[in-house]
Amino acid sequence: MAGAERLNSLLPPSVEPMTGNAQHSAAADETLVKAAQKGDMGAFEELVARHRDKIYARAYSMMRNEDDALDLSQEAWVKGWQRLQQFQGDASFGTWMTRIVINLCLDALRRRKRQQAESVEVLNEEAGGVERHMPVMTVNPTEGLERAELRERIDRAMAQLTYEHRTVLILHEFEEMEYKQIAKVMDCSIGTVMSRLFYARRRLAALMANWKDEDEGTNTPDKQKP
Amino acid sequence: MRQKLRSPSRLGWWLALFLPLALAAPCALAGDLKLEALLVWGTNDARSPDPDHKPVGADLLKKLRSFPLKWTNYFEVNRQQLAVPSAGAKRTSLSKECEILVKNTGSGELELVIFGKGQRVGHIKQALPKGELLVTGGNAPNFTAWFVVLRQVD
Amino acid sequence: MNNDQELKLQAFLDGELPARERPAVADWLAADAEARALQQEWALTRSALAGGEPPRPLPESREFYWSKIQREILRGEKAGARAAARRAVPWWRRLLVPTAGLAVLTLGLSVALNYWPPGRQPHVVETALADSGAFTYRDLKEGITLVWLSYPADSGLADDAGADIIE
Repeated sequence: MAGAERLNSLLPPSVEPMTGNAQHSAAADETLVKAAQKGDMGAFEELVARHRDKIYARAYSMMRNEDDALDLSQEAWVKGWQRLQQFQGDASFGTWMTRIVINLCLDALRRRKRQQAESVEVLNEEAGGVERHMPVMTVNPTEGLERAELRERIDRAMAQLTYEHRTVLILHEFEEMEYKQIAKVMDCSIGTVMSRLFYARRRLAALMANWKDEDEGTNTPDKQKP
Repeated sequence: MRQKLRSPSRLGWWLALFLPLALAAPCALAGDLKLEALLVWGTNDARSPDPDHKPVGADLLKKLRSFPLKWTNYFEVNRQQLAVPSAGAKRTSLSKECEILVKNTGSGELELVIFGKGQRVGHIKQALPKGELLVTGGNAPNFTAWFVVLRQVD
Repeated sequence: MNNDQELKLQAFLDGELPARERPAVADWLAADAEARALQQEWALTRSALAGGEPPRPLPESREFYWSKIQREILRGEKAGARAAARRAVPWWRRLLVPTAGLAVLTLGLSVALNYWPPGRQPHVVETALADSGAFTYRDLKEGITLVWLSYPADSGLADDAGADIIE
């Protein structure tokens, strides 16, 4: 203890002693949020450390790009600090932060989309397209797969979707949001959410089934109905 | 809170200071045109026969000597100050035979009318910025010359 | 199965269908093989997705990642403090600078218009007599204009007794 005091006395005032970090690491999220709301940046740093992987992963899953995911996740944390007074504790801090990063990613994706000409594929998807009529997949895409292998396939399949379909799937399946919440976040109607979700699910099932068939040496998915 | 209560009076002070200045400036400047008129005699003689005539100042001498028609010496015969109101006119006598009429157009220009022996002999209309000279001249007996020098004064 | 039926079935399976519509869809699902096939496909997809989201650990160290966040936070707070300081200034004080600027501009314009009006050349030079020797000389650098009237020597008046303008 005497040694620690001597060490702390040698530190410049701006350097937080290790004991402060130790206190933060033992505290619950709610305690850290309250401290951060009073201006304790050390507490906020601890919150960042706890949730950074999840926030980054969500940004990556939406952007499909490491640089964008890093930038947007860090921007989300900055916004989180700035809006911390608005956090009332209705949801968990992690969920609240995830909403922030999702909104930032959607803004970035919308800006990107405006800069690009809308592809024929997207138009087809929005209209129901040929994919709506594809056969129902009865093959279990997860059967016989290791967990890592399954995750890798899901990742590949998600990357094949347009950002609207990927996002609606992420929000519904991973973030467990209701249709109306998704509609609000994505700034569209509930009908559009339902349509996009339907298409995204069917497309994802088809992609995963196809890969499974390819692995098994056949290109024909098990069709129950044409 | 105190600051807020004080603000209208301060605002009033600033407005009182700046607005009249801003609004009155063009009016003031477009007002009286203060001029100085000099009657000058140009001669090659070293001295004027009239002891009251004094050589013109160095600045004016330099400028008069820059004219294409040159005389050795220039003597100041008379000097008059006149304030011409905007859109008004002032007539003044520079000698027994020479009179001038200055009109202030109010738009930055003046009109100068020269009278010799009561006759209108010349009319000039032009701008006369501060620091510039408008010189009207003519021949006088014995190869001398007369000049009316007009300039703005403060 | 039409599009409306597909979406209704999806809403039913997602628990989003209004309570009054659920019995009808449940009956239809029990009777329709195609609907059941679709339900099975979605169940398989959902089971694949459950826990199937790949973990994506941050590729930067805690310190490095935080340092950029902290820098942005501090920069934002400084900018916010400056904006707050600006907001703290009463509205009339913020008007002072533009008001003073306007006053100076007006003053400057007035001075410019009075001292340097457009067109510095003599606009009108006329002589009352037929004066062939009249001319105008102007030195822009020195700011002098000479209007030579040659009066009265060339007009015949100079020969008159007492015609000297200097008298």
